[in-house]
Amino acid sequence: MLVSFVHLLLLFSWSWRTLASHEQLVGDFFSKSTSNHTNNWAVLVCSSRYWFNYRHMANALGMYRTVKRLGIPDSNIILMLADDAACNSRNKFPGSVYANPGRGLDLYGDNIEVDYRGYEVTVENFIRVLTGRMEPSVPRSKRLLTDANSNVFVYMTGHGGNEFLKFQDNEEISAFDIADAFEQMWQKKRYNEIFFMIDTCQANTMYTKFYSPNILATGSAKLDQNSYSYENDNDLGVHIIDRYTHYVLEYMERINKTSHQTMRDLFDSYDPVKISSDPGVRADLFRRPLDEVLITDFFGGVAQVEVQESTTPFSGADGPESVPAADTRPRVAATAFTTETGVQDESWRTMRTWGGVVLLGALVGWVGSRTV
Amino acid sequence: MASHVHPTDTTLRDPAGLFSESIRRLIIASYWLVIIAAIPLWWQTTSIERLSLPTSRVHAQAANTLRFPVHIRLENVQDDSLAPALQQFVQERTQTSGLDVTVDDKDADSYTITLAGGPPLVMERQLTYPVRSGTLPALADTLAALLVPPVDVHRVAQYSPRYRLAFTLLNEDAAAGTSISSWDVSRAISRHLSPILNSLSVLHNFTVESQVQFHAPLAFSPVALPHGYGLTPEDLTVFVNSAEWSLSSSVSNDPVLHFILFIPSESHKPLQILDSNGNPSSSDAFLLPQWGGIVIYNPPSDLDSSQLPPSALTSVFSTFAHQLLILLGVPSLLPEMRTDPSSALTGWQLDALLRRRASENADGARDTLESIVKLVDQIENMPVGQDVRGDVQNSLTALDKMYASTSLNETLHQSADALTLASRAFFNPGMLALLYFPAEHKYAVYTPLFASAVIPLIAAAMREFRAWRKERR
Repeated sequence: MLVSFVHLLLLFSWSWRTLASHEQLVGDFFSKSTSNHTNNWAVLVCSSRYWFNYRHMANALGMYRTVKRLGIPDSNIILMLADDAACNSRNKFPGSVYANPGRGLDLYGDNIEVDYRGYEVTVENFIRVLTGRMEPSVPRSKRLLTDANSNVFVYMTGHGGNEFLKFQDNEEISAFDIADAFEQMWQKKRYNEIFFMIDTCQANTMYTKFYSPNILATGSAKLDQNSYSYENDNDLGVHIIDRYTHYVLEYMERINKTSHQTMRDLFDSYDPVKISSDPGVRADLFRRPLDEVLITDFFGGVAQVEVQESTTPFSGADGPESVPAADTRPRVAATAFTTETGVQDESWRTMRTWGGVVLLGALVGWVGSRTV
Repeated sequence: MASHVHPTDTTLRDPAGLFSESIRRLIIASYWLVIIAAIPLWWQTTSIERLSLPTSRVHAQAANTLRFPVHIRLENVQDDSLAPALQQFVQERTQTSGLDVTVDDKDADSYTITLAGGPPLVMERQLTYPVRSGTLPALADTLAALLVPPVDVHRVAQYSPRYRLAFTLLNEDAAAGTSISSWDVSRAISRHLSPILNSLSVLHNFTVESQVQFHAPLAFSPVALPHGYGLTPEDLTVFVNSAEWSLSSSVSNDPVLHFILFIPSESHKPLQILDSNGNPSSSDAFLLPQWGGIVIYNPPSDLDSSQLPPSALTSVFSTFAHQLLILLGVPSLLPEMRTDPSSALTGWQLDALLRRRASENADGARDTLESIVKLVDQIENMPVGQDVRGDVQNSLTALDKMYASTSLNETLHQSADALTLASRAFFNPGMLALLYFPAEHKYAVYTPLFASAVIPLIAAAMREFRAWRKERR
């Protein structure tokens, strides 16, 4: 108790000092903040479709609402969403997507701009958005027009497993693909810093392959661990949001566009007990210390915009605590993949492959010799 | 009921005796022939086209640096020792910026320094200065400031051959009292901006669009002051409410520079900008780096028409002109320098900008080419098509032409071409690397497809082979 009080006191005095110094900095319009970026972009991907994946749509829309509220304009947000939840015939509340019990806040309500919709949400399109390799006819709203001064927030959610994320039950993106795309962005000076956040089963494996500088990454669950949904809505009949995203969004509700909270504060707010999985952070590629990185460096729009202070915050904390609802689908996907690769190493894999070839050859020889 | 009976002359024949030995072998061999003949086709359709890139030329370019010869003529100066001394001083100050400065009294079409008293007067490519041996260091400082002016890279918009300028007249709420419903924007642009746009036409191609909006609410409440309302520095950073203001059309992918004239509503008048101490400042405009400029205009309450008054139009557009110059990176003259007020910008400023943009573009093109080569090397399944190779080669040619060019305009154009081509090569849609496809996935795809077809073939071939060997024995 005493410790936490002292901690609070320290935090207060520290934030007071940064506040004071910030005030001085802002006095000059052209002064540089600790981050060298001049514009903010967000790429928000929901890689699932179908009604039972309602919660993934809600995850992405919740993030969309947050980045927009904190000041990233729609022109700088690329939202990839199957978008088959709001107007689904099974939706009892047509035209709305809710992510909290009591349905206080309609995430679909006003002014949603989905840039890649339905079957446009593909691995190829996602990679094209990141690398900028587009046909000349692609409109401005579908392009990530970043430069060397851009901070990019990439959020992904869906069903995944060890080093992969499924796109609409049809294809997969691997951790290697994303790592290579980020490297290509870095080579073309398409970002200043990237903040990568992913909510899926075994999410932390998705950022293990990154090798480009200035990337901060966080995920919802470690290897062989599922990411669970938070809340079931009995009227809708589906789970409406994932636990990790729910707690991140809940934390974000306390942030406003001039907040001085840092990434360290966000990561410290992770509670594995509440989230039911172990969220991870990867900061070895990132150059700045996390307690100097403002959350608004990635979620805000530097000097560009501001979205109104929310009047209906996420009320999850006030709602009745729900029993951890296991997410059956991802578990199936995850275990299926785990049995396939598991922890076996590369040599075992090669050996097995050759073993298969030898077996096949033996079989063929046996058939050939027998029937003569 | 007649029972079905085989015709007496037809008996079931043994399929083994249907064909002669050689025909059967021919049939089996023809299967194999088709498979073997199809292998090159299969190989060709599944392999990735990776043309070789001119790697060594790209690496050779990396060692090059762009250098600009600068010739300064000292006019009407008797003392012969002044020119070499000045050259020495200027070279010291511009050493790292890629300039080769020569100072002499020979006639050539470049910069001229004329001897005269009074504060320095900067004309087109001429500088009037009290040149004496004692003033040489100060003169060298002035020249350095003119030739390589300092620049804030975070403020200046990134180079683009095309820009869109979007002028917006925003009424916070036209329904609530005094509003400005029109402005003579075309006259203002032709009077205040056209001279600048014309001078800069060697660098950029500009498209201008304008609009008037009647309802553009702020996303925050300004601070109430004894007389009116104030915007704190923090408010300014979030002033633009792009969620509700639609500021520019998205007809093209050219970068947009925004210029906003904001008319506060009756309930927020007069709206002033506060300094960090909370005191109203005299400024009514602010700049968002790399984005645009904003001017706040509080119309007088006795305004008789809804048109923006000409005096206000002049002051607003001269502010916009100033902001445009800053955003495009046009260096400003030092405060102590006088200049001809009738010209938009001097030759010194334009040349300095051309030099900076040219070396930025050249660096950008070189970096992009390097990264293409590096990425193609690094990512094994990244295709390299004919158009990529062509763009890379053309970009290298443009770089070579740039080094060979004699005029500054030519240098800039070649550097811009080199950058555009290099970027086009980098962003070629066909260069998308195939998705990560591990070996076990390949087995998973090929085995069900081919194993069922190939196993009987191999078995048949082996059987024939054994039969043939038996025969020979």
